[in-house]
Amino acid sequence: MQFWKIFSKGLILENPILVLALSLCPALAVTSSVATALTMGATVTFVITCNNVVVSIVRKWINPKVRVPVYIISIATIVTIASLVLQAFLPLLYKDLGIYLELVVVFAIILARAEVFAAKNSVVRSFLDGFGMGCGFIIAMLIIGVIRELLGNGSILGFDILGANYPAALIMVLPPGAFILIGYLVALFRLIVKKWEKRQKVREEALS
Amino acid sequence: MEHAEHNSHNETSALKIALNLVCATLISGLILGVIYAATHKIAEQKQVELKQASMISLVQADEFKEIEGQAEWYEALKDGQLVAYILPAEGKGYGGTIAILVAISPEMTVLKYTITEAAETPGLGAKAAEPLFSDQFIGKDTEHLVVTKDPSQKDLIQSISGSTITSRAVTNAIKESVEQLSAFVQEGGK
Repeated sequence: MQFWKIFSKGLILENPILVLALSLCPALAVTSSVATALTMGATVTFVITCNNVVVSIVRKWINPKVRVPVYIISIATIVTIASLVLQAFLPLLYKDLGIYLELVVVFAIILARAEVFAAKNSVVRSFLDGFGMGCGFIIAMLIIGVIRELLGNGSILGFDILGANYPAALIMVLPPGAFILIGYLVALFRLIVKKWEKRQKVREEALS
Repeated sequence: MEHAEHNSHNETSALKIALNLVCATLISGLILGVIYAATHKIAEQKQVELKQASMISLVQADEFKEIEGQAEWYEALKDGQLVAYILPAEGKGYGGTIAILVAISPEMTVLKYTITEAAETPGLGAKAAEPLFSDQFIGKDTEHLVVTKDPSQKDLIQSISGSTITSRAVTNAIKESVEQLSAFVQEGGK
């Protein structure tokens, strides 16, 4: 039960993009099509999970004064390994990700989870936290990607959905469209979180 | 006395911190070294395969021969006959460099091109890779490799609406390649 809580909090209640508002850069930059949004989501999930595990393992040997540089080294190493492996075995995917793969190193959410959670918790809990946050990241990227590609290009994953005559709203594939959309989504998620908190309170009062 | 003690404590902690960082970078370096050694040969081979595949997608040929003195220029041969030249082209698009591979016929007209590297906006500039735009280039010579927004000028290249920068970048890059090639051939390159 407790493990499920650690995992699931990243999905909605502490969604990295739509509630914590960390890592808005990839949410804007690579969500103009569902395919790139998904690949980015998978990459970030992999990196954040691995990094949480590594940080959790070495947390006792790290001098607190240099913990951030050590976290960054760990993240950079994992990202470089991922890019080397992708280059060798999936060169087409590697080409599609382009510069964003290297940018994963500086995504705020990864460092934030290392500092806030993995540095203070056991390996299993850190793994679940990273994986949950990664899944939340994928969910948010997917929502943004689907809406942007559908409205801006009339397709999902490259398949035409709305037909060739659909007057594509170009603004949705451009950065301003992403800003507007993310604004609405953040508002929607706040509503959901508020409602959930209220229900939780009522339940607690009923219990006591 | 107290001061000295404080100092020495600081020194050991500075040393410890340094050691901490040294260890971290050392381990990271070791891991990366091992993985690089294991993967870079495969990566290079994949790169060559990809290039071959993209050249074959441009022209039906059974041999690609590198032209001497010109890096990355190829002659495509079929049954020993020259059917096309393949040249790399590069333009500055909206989202950075656009790298293109162009196939040019011996008569100096464009046969086909493929975009090998680009970061153009999906739904806008990325349409430069789609047949609606790229088919316009077939059979064009340098004089007709000009971007226009006027739909009545059917001989020229129609710009992708909303992506003039990408259209121009692709067209000019290809035009430049054709010019370079024809200058090279006229000088008696072959």
